[in-house]
Amino acid sequence: MRTAPAAPAPVTSTNREESLRHLPEEARAAFHRFQAVGDPAGLDPVIFAILDDFIPHHSAVPLADLPGTTNLAADLGFDSLSITEVVFFTEDLFAINISNEEIMQVRSLDDLRGFIRRKVAAPATR
Amino acid sequence: MPPLPVITGLGFITSIGQGRAAVLDHLREQRHGFEPVEFFDNPNLPVKVAGTVKGFSFPTPNWRDWRWPDNLTVDRELLRGLAPHGVYALCALQEALADAGLQAAQLTDGTTGLFCASAGSPFLLGNFIDQMHATRGERGNPMGIISSIAGTLNFNLAAHYGISGAVCGFVSACASSSHALGYAMDEIRLGRQQRMLVVGAEDLTAESIVAFSSLRALSSNPDPDTASRPFDRGRDGFVGTGGAVAVIVEDLALARERGVHVYAELAGWGQAGDGYAVVASHPQGAGLREAMRRTLVDARVNASEVDYVNAHATSTPAGDRSEALALHAIFTRAGAKPRISSTKALTGHGLSLAGVMEAAFCALAIDDGFVPGTAHLEEPDAVCAGLDLPRASLEVAPRFVLNNSSGFGGSNVCHLLRRPT
Repeated sequence: MRTAPAAPAPVTSTNREESLRHLPEEARAAFHRFQAVGDPAGLDPVIFAILDDFIPHHSAVPLADLPGTTNLAADLGFDSLSITEVVFFTEDLFAINISNEEIMQVRSLDDLRGFIRRKVAAPATR
Repeated sequence: MPPLPVITGLGFITSIGQGRAAVLDHLREQRHGFEPVEFFDNPNLPVKVAGTVKGFSFPTPNWRDWRWPDNLTVDRELLRGLAPHGVYALCALQEALADAGLQAAQLTDGTTGLFCASAGSPFLLGNFIDQMHATRGERGNPMGIISSIAGTLNFNLAAHYGISGAVCGFVSACASSSHALGYAMDEIRLGRQQRMLVVGAEDLTAESIVAFSSLRALSSNPDPDTASRPFDRGRDGFVGTGGAVAVIVEDLALARERGVHVYAELAGWGQAGDGYAVVASHPQGAGLREAMRRTLVDARVNASEVDYVNAHATSTPAGDRSEALALHAIFTRAGAKPRISSTKALTGHGLSLAGVMEAAFCALAIDDGFVPGTAHLEEPDAVCAGLDLPRASLEVAPRFVLNNSSGFGGSNVCHLLRRPT
């Protein structure tokens, strides 16, 4: 086993454009706007696109039209694995790290929206 | 009457066609499935031919880029955990289940098991490992393991179909799916299961195929019409292929109760190790000889009763020679002369897929009343003198058919199939 270096190099997205490539145009544009102006409030199209990509069973109602209290597990059918995929994709896209404890706090669409906005607005720790 | 395993459903995604009818045509008419390929976009590679799986495309590790023929259905939710060969396998299993007149709901009561074989996906595993290195272990695709390691087929298919009977994966390289079929037969014969789904599959990617170039095991012949020529003096290695084949094995009593068509009975199987080398087969084919002998004993069939042998022969100089010697030991020495061919002359070598693919070909031969020939065989190796190696397919209905497989480490597995009585 190799010894970890004293000062870890920053972990960046493995391939941000690769992650974005499959998102709808509206989501890609929202992400690029966020990159340009840094306003996390405009990230909803990105968040909905990610959820839509990993949702186990597609919702008859567009995610953006659902109430913010909609529960990811009970109402939308997300299980632990699909949530993990959403987390991985989000981590990779925004080059952030999300802990298991943080994931446990996210239950509804509003929770997720708020969490990602806070997370990407926080100063990068890595 | 003790349980008797029989084949009631077949599904094919192969280099020589998708679906039973296409495969049958290719086998009967001796049409191969090879095309020129350029792995890694590198014209310097000596390997220039592969048994391609038409209509499927896996250009990147990202499942969103994958394509398959319009007539096949692949559930998007399932796709995320699949390797390319998992997509093939799902399609082949769907066909086999439909062929056997089975609905998914009939597979969940514990009487149906699932045995699979593949080498995993070096293509996806490599990508997953690269990703871990790039992030120094801090991030990785959650589906990375599920989709890439050996076992990916049984993980995915067992969960998808709700299989609560026996579920297992088999890894013995090119004998893997032959082991899966053999042990599936035992599950039926021991009364543990009434039905077994047996699936063999492999990716067809540069990572899966070119790896064998390091062993100098691949043909460097650039001509798709002659690169794979088992038992020929001019053979220079195997031609790789991928795809999937699914076989539904049921107890005869259940098949009769359901009133379904029986392709062939699975009369016996056997296996034996070479105890010799990691890669090379035993020079006299000792393990394969013993595996054939044990299979005949298990099936209570004499060598002289065997009408057709689907040989393992991959078109490598050493392997085909060993098998020819083993065939002489079992058949020529007993005064028997079955028709012998290697259908790898048409398909290429499917590695873990090969055993069950060729068992399915044997079932087709029994069911449709023909013996496949060995395509591309112009000048048989001198060691084959005395063996009956038809070039073209023969309109001869075989009753007893032997299927041979051999894998790394000297694993040899054979099955004996019998025309339904």
